[in-house]
Amino acid sequence: MASGLFTFRGKSSARADIMLGLGVAAALILAWEAVARAGFIQPQFLPAPSRVLGALWSMTTTQGLLWHAFVSTMRVWVAFLLAAAMAIPIGIMMSSYRVVGASLEPTIDFIRYLPVPALIPLSIIWFGVGEETKIFLLWLGTFFQLVLLVADDMRRVPHEYVEIAFTLGAKPRQVLTDVALRAMGPTLVDNLRITLGWCWTYLVLAEIVAADSGLGFVIWSARRYVKTPEVMAGVVVIGLIGLVTDQLLRAWHRRMFKYL
Amino acid sequence: MDPAYIGFENVTKSFGTVPVVSSTNLSITRYSFVVFLGPSGCGKTTLMRMVGGLDSPSSGTIRLDGEIVSAPDRRRGMVFQSYSSFPWLTVEGNINFGMRYRNDLSVEERAARVTHYLRLIGMDDFRTSYPNRISGGMRQRVAIARTLAAGSDVLLMDEPFGALDALTRERLQVELRQIQREERKTIIFVTHDVEEAVFLADRIILFSARPARILRDIDVAAVLGPERPLEAREGEAFFRLRNEVLHMIRNETGGQR
Repeated sequence: MASGLFTFRGKSSARADIMLGLGVAAALILAWEAVARAGFIQPQFLPAPSRVLGALWSMTTTQGLLWHAFVSTMRVWVAFLLAAAMAIPIGIMMSSYRVVGASLEPTIDFIRYLPVPALIPLSIIWFGVGEETKIFLLWLGTFFQLVLLVADDMRRVPHEYVEIAFTLGAKPRQVLTDVALRAMGPTLVDNLRITLGWCWTYLVLAEIVAADSGLGFVIWSARRYVKTPEVMAGVVVIGLIGLVTDQLLRAWHRRMFKYL
Repeated sequence: MDPAYIGFENVTKSFGTVPVVSSTNLSITRYSFVVFLGPSGCGKTTLMRMVGGLDSPSSGTIRLDGEIVSAPDRRRGMVFQSYSSFPWLTVEGNINFGMRYRNDLSVEERAARVTHYLRLIGMDDFRTSYPNRISGGMRQRVAIARTLAAGSDVLLMDEPFGALDALTRERLQVELRQIQREERKTIIFVTHDVEEAVFLADRIILFSARPARILRDIDVAAVLGPERPLEAREGEAFFRLRNEVLHMIRNETGGQR
């Protein structure tokens, strides 16, 4: 039944895959619990998963953990949607018209290589420590990456599709909307999903440096009092949000691109 | 009948400093099936693409029905070897694709045309299938139907059967020849397969290696006639002509090997 799991490049059922993945995760957690309880390592370095779970509960009931999670999620999505709304049209134009591509590529390539942390001081000078700084930093970390990915997706649309459409009477605008956008759809959505993940990386950074709310802030404040279970609980929440978002986007991808 | 439906007048093409097509003069009559035959990469495809308005000549002009060709439009439809149908549309959606840009057809007329061309290519049962779920031969049929449904008068076909297995290819050749006669279309078909050229063509234009130059203009219809059932490829006339063309190619390109 599950023999495909052990064959080189073998096939297996989705159910077997899920069971295996969950099983390994559960085994890891159990091993962690056992090691933590054995007492070789001090609990402030490695608290047991059960204690992290306890912290998760108390933080939810007394510290408004859900609210912090909501604030962080909103920041990520606002910055991400802003970046995507700008990157998709600009990236498409970069690959559609040489004048746009040639004029923007050097600048974008330069900014893309600037590490976001290096720009935090500048961002604070410009925007203070309010929401703008956080949104700006997240946008900075994703827009310049995404715009080049989108340009690449557009460039990879087979030229045959474009030429077929022209010989069927489509105008350039229609080729863009009816052919190029449709052809690049699957890779575009994949790239959006990956970029959204990067957004979370920069979020924690931004919230550690300049925030009084959000999961990064929660983690950083817990660290100050060496409340390791709370630090870990914050990390777990970020992981869970990431996992759920990713699975939802994948499910959406499968629904949208059924023809693949 | 208009003798020069498609006309090449002193057409040349170079990419940068590389000449691809030497000065070419050629006229093609309406409703004829013309095959451009020549070695791979010789420039015959470029010549055909210029009829489609997808490339423009470096010098000279190409006329369609007296009018100078400058940009692609739906009168000349392309059928490629790969990426020939849109994977995100069903068979029906692909056939309907070009008609979306015509406002002279009502919704009912479009639906009727889709059905007509689905039947013509024998794919009524695959109406709602996606291209990834059908065979390579079926995908090429869909591409042909889509071009016809859009209302093209000229089909420009760039080695469309090159990636198919031998049996499927034979069947599609017979079907294409039938469709061309029933629907009264002009076809320019590019290939480097001599047998395919002889079976399909009313007329073969044999090209040299790059830069493309017309070596021979072979009147196949005079020898094989207009009807090309599958059995035509077993007849003596077919064999003789095929061998003749093969010899021409060997003699003309012999010095270059």
